[in-house]
Amino acid sequence: MSALIQTLVDGVLIGGVYGVIAVGLSLVFGVLKIVNFAQAEFLMIGMYAGWFAWAHLGLDPIVGAFLALLIGFALGALCQRLFVQHILNAPAVAQIFLTVGLLTVLENGALLLFGSDFRTVRTPYQTIALELGPIFLSVPYLVAFVAAVAMSVLLFLLLNRTWLGRAIRATSQDRDAACLFGIDTRLIYTIAFGLGTGLTAFGGGIILSYAAVSPTAGAQFVVLMFTVVVLGGLGSVMGALVGGVIVGVIQSVSTLFMPIQLQNLVLFIVFITALAFWPQGLLGRAAR
Amino acid sequence: MKRSLILVALVAVLAIVLANVLDPRGYILRIVCLILLAATLGQCWNIVGGLANQISLGHAAFFGIGAYCSTVLQVKWGITPWLGIFAGMLLAMVAAFILSLPTMRLKGPYFALATLAFGEACRILATAMPGVTGGPQGISVPFVGDSWAMMQFKGAGNYVYLFAGLFVIVSIVFALLAYGKMGYLLRAVRENEEAAEVSGVNTLRVKLIGSLISAALTAATGTLFAQFTFFFDPESVFSVAHISIHAALIAIVGGVGTLAGPIIGALLIVPLEELLTTYFSNDAAGIAPFIFGLILVAVVILRPRGLVSIFGRRRGRPSGLQQRDAPPADPAFMAKKRAGAES
Repeated sequence: MSALIQTLVDGVLIGGVYGVIAVGLSLVFGVLKIVNFAQAEFLMIGMYAGWFAWAHLGLDPIVGAFLALLIGFALGALCQRLFVQHILNAPAVAQIFLTVGLLTVLENGALLLFGSDFRTVRTPYQTIALELGPIFLSVPYLVAFVAAVAMSVLLFLLLNRTWLGRAIRATSQDRDAACLFGIDTRLIYTIAFGLGTGLTAFGGGIILSYAAVSPTAGAQFVVLMFTVVVLGGLGSVMGALVGGVIVGVIQSVSTLFMPIQLQNLVLFIVFITALAFWPQGLLGRAAR
Repeated sequence: MKRSLILVALVAVLAIVLANVLDPRGYILRIVCLILLAATLGQCWNIVGGLANQISLGHAAFFGIGAYCSTVLQVKWGITPWLGIFAGMLLAMVAAFILSLPTMRLKGPYFALATLAFGEACRILATAMPGVTGGPQGISVPFVGDSWAMMQFKGAGNYVYLFAGLFVIVSIVFALLAYGKMGYLLRAVRENEEAAEVSGVNTLRVKLIGSLISAALTAATGTLFAQFTFFFDPESVFSVAHISIHAALIAIVGGVGTLAGPIIGALLIVPLEELLTTYFSNDAAGIAPFIFGLILVAVVILRPRGLVSIFGRRRGRPSGLQQRDAPPADPAFMAKKRAGAES
């Protein structure tokens, strides 16, 4: 029984982080109506940003994550202006392969720049766990979870309490109407894309204390991120968090009765099933 | 169409002539084989990706099934790949059918994501069944020396015939599908699924037939690949980057939905890949995929109809990635379209 509770707790802690990683993807889709296959690469970029901040500036990964947020925002905004802007009205095949091309460029660009080594950070709290009765709370998981939830709250406030947030939501609901009300929708597209990639990069920064970074670190998260988004419902901050927790729990519970290498298989099956059976409810109308 | 068929014949004849004049164990014939393989794979993808607009990112699943099926049959029971190739095609069709049950009604990026997940699931399964597939360590085709009966040879020379044969078969299938009755149905589905359905096209059946044919031919390509390389592992045959995306890349760079597209794509991409890996392999791993990614982005933005559009006149049926359903920068149209989609 305590093993089960322990697994659930681990799942929730990891899942909260999945939430903040995936909320960026959700935001990009919600506003630009683009499924960004390259989104997970910004996780990898965030992890590298955090690693360099730790190695050269001596910053804790949680602090480095804010640097990752800025870098992810800048790179994402640049990508949007240079590439994504051109294919906003293009057929799906062009949108898919533009972002798949970006994915390949970013992953292999990192390989060219940083080599294929796995890099890790050392933090004072890395190996500590809090004991709560029969269960243990791993401190790095807990710290990352708290950072993820805090960031989600900030995003929620930004979207609901500020002019910029209202402009983003307006553009997401009806671009032309937003345009008529004096919103520079092109700018909003760039900001929303940058914000989305920045949030994913922030997620990369906060997992650094328990995950190693390499050029392929992002690729492993591609399907996972989309699963979170499909389960949670696109465009919603809370939905992404809930979806993240569901995925985290599925992942960690499946290790109880399956070999670890089959962990992702369960995820992929959940993903395909979710796409097939609840595309409308959970993905919005576009999936029809 | 006639010019494209001439191109197919020309490439096949040229490959066979080269196989007869060049050193059968030479490097150039190896490249010829790889070009034919890439063109075939791209054409298989083109059947669903280009004709039916079902953007698959999981063709590695069928490729890997073909490679593993024939090889496992050889390793376990000594069955010749000439039979194994059909077993692989059959199994791939079963897999495609199972995949189509949940994904048939998905569109665009959602279909792409589901196929991506399916390909990855196949890779994990192959890794997790060491008893059958040899697991992550990979599997070798048992070596018996030069033998047509076991479809294996020491040099690349004889493989040219096999690859050229499959290349011609896949090209003819594509031409039949593209320009026959099925082609009209597939295009109807691509242009406007609802309208096709209303006009009496059984869109699900059309898409299913397209994907079964594509899966079977991809599996056959996988079997030849296994015979050609002798050794492979789940990472190589189920690779998203090297098989699934590559197949699409070749078709898109050349020209989506055209017969000549994957051929031109393969003629460009394969030699480029060889050059890059030869000159940079030690100093800069990743340079080839990096450049391919840039090419993909550039083609999508600058030349959405692919390189075919440089040679071709704008005659005949439209194809490729060009904008069709949504004139850009027409807010009124977009608003109407969105209103229609939401009602």
